[in-house]
Parts: sequence; structure tokens; C-alpha cells
Amino acid sequence: MDYNWDFATLFQNWRVFWIGLQGTLLMFGVTAVLGMSGGLVIGIMRYMKTPILAWPARAFVEIFRNVPVLVQIIWFYYAFPILTGVETSPFLAAVLGISLNTMAFSAEIYRAGIQSVEKGQWEAGKAIGMSFAQTMRRIILPVALKRVLPALTNRGIEVFKMSTLASVVAYVETLNQAKLIADLNYNPIESYTAVAVIFFVVLYPVVQATYVIERKLSRSDQ
Amino acid sequence: MEWNFAPVLGSMDILLLGLLNTLKVTGLALLFGVPLGLGLALSRLSQMRILSMVAAFIIEFFRTTPPLVQLFWFFFAFPILFGVNMTPFTTAIVTFSIQSSAFFAEIFRSGIQSIDKGQWEGSKAIGMTRNQTLRRVILPQAVKRMIPAFMERSIELLKTTTLVSTIAYTDLMYQANDIAQRTFRPLEVYTVIAVIYFLLIFVFSQLSIVVERRLAKSGEGTVH
Repeated sequence: MDYNWDFATLFQNWRVFWIGLQGTLLMFGVTAVLGMSGGLVIGIMRYMKTPILAWPARAFVEIFRNVPVLVQIIWFYYAFPILTGVETSPFLAAVLGISLNTMAFSAEIYRAGIQSVEKGQWEAGKAIGMSFAQTMRRIILPVALKRVLPALTNRGIEVFKMSTLASVVAYVETLNQAKLIADLNYNPIESYTAVAVIFFVVLYPVVQATYVIERKLSRSDQ
Repeated sequence: MEWNFAPVLGSMDILLLGLLNTLKVTGLALLFGVPLGLGLALSRLSQMRILSMVAAFIIEFFRTTPPLVQLFWFFFAFPILFGVNMTPFTTAIVTFSIQSSAFFAEIFRSGIQSIDKGQWEGSKAIGMTRNQTLRRVILPQAVKRMIPAFMERSIELLKTTTLVSTIAYTDLMYQANDIAQRTFRPLEVYTVIAVIYFLLIFVFSQLSIVVERRLAKSGEGTVH
């Protein structure tokens, strides 16, 4: 292992990394918000007893959960434009692939949360004259959302890691920029290690926080 | 635009080879990843502080870094650092074995911890060592509770193997890229492989739901 470490070029190129990190954060922000809000709608639809709402929601969940995200991103990048005539940028293709996948996964999380609320709460809502939507919004969701918080945080961590897949269609994010630096300076060890460390440093505290949230919630439920 | 599936159907043998390679990588990563995960879990639960801390670090590191970054690291950085040759195939096996072992370790750990403390005490009372208790009493029960989480993880692993196409291993995804470039039919090719992946993974997920229901009926709790 007489390897000459070359971290200097990494620091010289910190701006390249910074641009990549911004791309990662943008991708994460957009896909997390779209995925988790869309997932709530689909999760509620999946819970409802009206087949015309429940069935399309079920099909949506099964399709986008069972097709690998990379296949979705590639499909939206190369196949979708031919089908619709709409050009998809690397950003749009990645946003579609990751958001749809996140919607499907978080829909199941929300549904499980809603189902975990006792039936009596629905009956109580009805007894004091609340409609389905009112009961859902005022009584059921506040309880359900609290219970699914750990699962949602875990999903968020997965979404953050998934943003690296956007590099496959040449969207400018951290991994893509590391590849650029590695190719220009012949230092793949340093640049790829740096990306791994960046992700670890960002996500490790979040993972620790989920443990704390989980413990607190399980205590407050008793 | 017109759909034309003829070029894709003509290359079905290439896709099939890719599918076999996808399953091969998944299978081998499971074969190495599960025992490695058990080892990591036992180390993490060990009373030796250093061992426990090292295991915890490995687990957290491989859980918080993206698999694509790990794959690139083992493909581009690892060979230079250690002077070994890494083919796309060995890179895939090494990366996914370690990556999935970190997740399996957490499943093993929550399974082992879900077993009532009294069982440890009971075994100790009849003179069993820690290892004996683990092997004869704790693990048989823990493993049964872990099965649903274990199947879910294996399905995730199957989906993650698509990443190997980026380092030119001939899995299903790579073969699709290849055919799409040669036939200029990306729409049909990518739609077909999306369907293949869907069917494959859908069957496995349905299977895991059936198993989970059976376990629930037999009165076993499960861990996640």
C-alpha cells in the first residue's frame, strides 16, 4: 500500500463538489416533498372502500414499488420522450423515477398508519356529526402521522441515497461530480471516498435521531 | 409513433442471459451477505466494547452510504489501493454482500433482542454457555420472527442489483441498454425489461406476503 494520497486536488476542487452537493440537495428536496405528499393522497385512496379509488391506487403502488428505480429513471429518460414527444431532462427523468417510487412506498406507510388507528375513533367522529374527510383530517391523520414518523424518516434516508442514481443520466449531483474529479485528476480513491464520507456525515446524525424518535414515541404511546 | 417489439423479441436470448446474471448476483450476495450479517450482529451485541463499536461502525457506514457510491469505490478505488484486479462481477458480489450484510445485521439484531431475557437466564440456569444458548435457544426462535423482514430485504437487494449495469456487468439492465443502442428501440426495450422486473419482483413480494400471513396465523410475532 505505497500509494501516494492526493487529497490536495480534492480541496482545490471543492467548488465542483459543492455544486454537486447542491444538486443532491435539490434532488432530495423535490423528490422527498413530491413523493411524501403524493404518497399521502395515494395512501388515503388505497384505504377507502370505493373500488374506483382503491384499485387504481393499489395498481399504482404495486407498479412503482416493484420496478427498480434505476429502470424507471432510464425509462423516463429514453423511452418516455418517444412515447409522448415530451423531452425529459436528466433532472426531470430522475425526479419522476424517484418521486413515483417514493409515493408508492410512502403510500403503504401512511395506509398502515391510518389502519392502526382504532375503529372507535371513526365511530366517535361520526357520532358527533363529522364527515369522512373531517374525521380523517382532524382525528385520524394526526394520530396516524405521529405513528408513522420513524418509518417516514427511514424512507427519507433512502430517498437521499437514491439521489445518486440521477448520475446515471448525467444529472449534476455529488457522485457525478466526484466522477468528473476522479477522471480529471486520476484520484478515484480520494474522490469516491470523499463522497462516501459526505453521505455518512449527513445521514449518520439523522439515523441516530430516528432511534431517539422511535424510543420517545414508543414511550408516549404506552 | 409505432410500437415495434420485433427487435426486442429477437433479442430475448440476450435478455434471458441478463436475467440469469441478475439472479446469480442476487443469490451470491445473499449467500455471503447473510452469514456476514449474522457475524456483524453478534459482534455488535458482543460484550467486548471494541468489537461492538467496530461492528456498529461498519453497519452504520454501509447503511448510510448509497450503494452506487460503494460500487464505484470497490470498482475504481479498491483495486488501486490494494493492487488487486476487480472484474465487474467480483465487484458486484463484494459490494452487495457487504452492503446487504449491514442490513441483515440489523434484522438479526432486532430478532435476537426480541427474544425474552428470561430465556437467556433459563439457559444459564441449566448450565448452557452463551454460545450454546444462542445456537440452541435464541436463534431458532429469532430466525422465525425475522423471515418477513429478511424476505423484504432480499427483494430490495434484487432491485439494487440493477446498479451493476453502470460498471458494465451484463445483468438484465445492461443487456437492455445494449439492445436499445443497437436496435434504436429504447421505448420497447425498456418497457419490456420494466415488465420483466415487475413480474419477477411482484411474484416475490406476493410470496413474502403469504409467508408473513402464515407466520402471523401460527402466532409468531415478527420484527422489522
